Amino acid sequence: MTKITLVKKVHPDGTACRKCRDVLGRIERDGVWGRIDRVVVADERDPDSEGMRLAARFHVERAPFFIVERPGEPPQIYTVYLRLLREELKREASEPDEVRELMSTARLDFI
Amino acid sequence: MGVVSMDHLPMDLERRSPQEILACALEQFDNLAISFSGAEDVVLIDMATRIRPDVGVFSLDTGRLHPETYAFFERVREHYGIEIDLRFPDTQQLQALVREKGLFSFYRDGHQECCGIRKVLPLKRKLAELDAWITGQRRDQSLDTRAGVPVVQEDPAFTGANGRLLKFNPLAHWSSRDVWDYIREHDVPCNELHRHGFVSIGCQPCTRTVLPHQHEREGRWWWELAEDKECGLHAGNREAANG
Repeated sequence: MTKITLVKKVHPDGTACRKCRDVLGRIERDGVWGRIDRVVVADERDPDSEGMRLAARFHVERAPFFIVERPGEPPQIYTVYLRLLREELKREASEPDEVRELMSTARLDFI
Repeated sequence: MGVVSMDHLPMDLERRSPQEILACALEQFDNLAISFSGAEDVVLIDMATRIRPDVGVFSLDTGRLHPETYAFFERVREHYGIEIDLRFPDTQQLQALVREKGLFSFYRDGHQECCGIRKVLPLKRKLAELDAWITGQRRDQSLDTRAGVPVVQEDPAFTGANGRLLKFNPLAHWSSRDVWDYIREHDVPCNELHRHGFVSIGCQPCTRTVLPHQHEREGRWWWELAEDKECGLHAGNREAANG
């Protein structure tokens, strides 16, 4: 049984980050909310919030991100929603769209 | 072939030297390659070829690199007797971008679109052939965005040949000074641009020299320094969470 957790971020002023809102909207439009088992908040006002702890544990530097857990396997982290959509939810995602999302979410300034 | 998992790696890898981390990566994985940017990350090639002379190395030829960087690729290839797998942008996508927006759209629209076509897509396609890759990322390159770079992690952004992909960052806990001490001590070839004041080296239009005491990242995409970075999880908070 696969379990998918979405970690979204809350700014110090209490608002949700724009990228998180975008991805949540995309999940809604793609009709895959039913596949997300749990939503956790990374609250920048609270380093002990569950989302911040998960980010530290998995060395994730951007939000939102997804944790996919399967029995007997180490958790798998996805920082790109379209990659999750393609690989875990078995939906179509175009390569240019995925690259665009990569550019907006991943820390790739080292390449 | 190694199993694409961190389970087989030593628990104390974080405290080991870059050479030990590289040795571990090369021992665990046959299907891995070093990502070489054409800058001081050449130290990874120097270290790795002492362990595995035919180690895989790849670089992204964006078509916009400095002539000195192309010359450096050749010098490294000859010096170490290695192949450098140069990866190029998708011709159709690049032609469409240039046709629609010209050759310098990044100054106007931001670098993401151009980098996406010239670097990220070729990188994505290359990584899809590998089980693990090695980068020259260091924590001191950006206290804001790289303070938490681990020496090894499962890559959360890219997919490997069999799904999961491991990313090794053997220089994570080294400083710039450590790297340059190694280069001098081992007489490692380096990019001529470093002699002209370039610290971080990327594409020619998007790289400039920095002044003493300026951070190296200020030499890249300088016109975008005020860009919205709201998706980042604040480093100070992450460190606190670690503590």
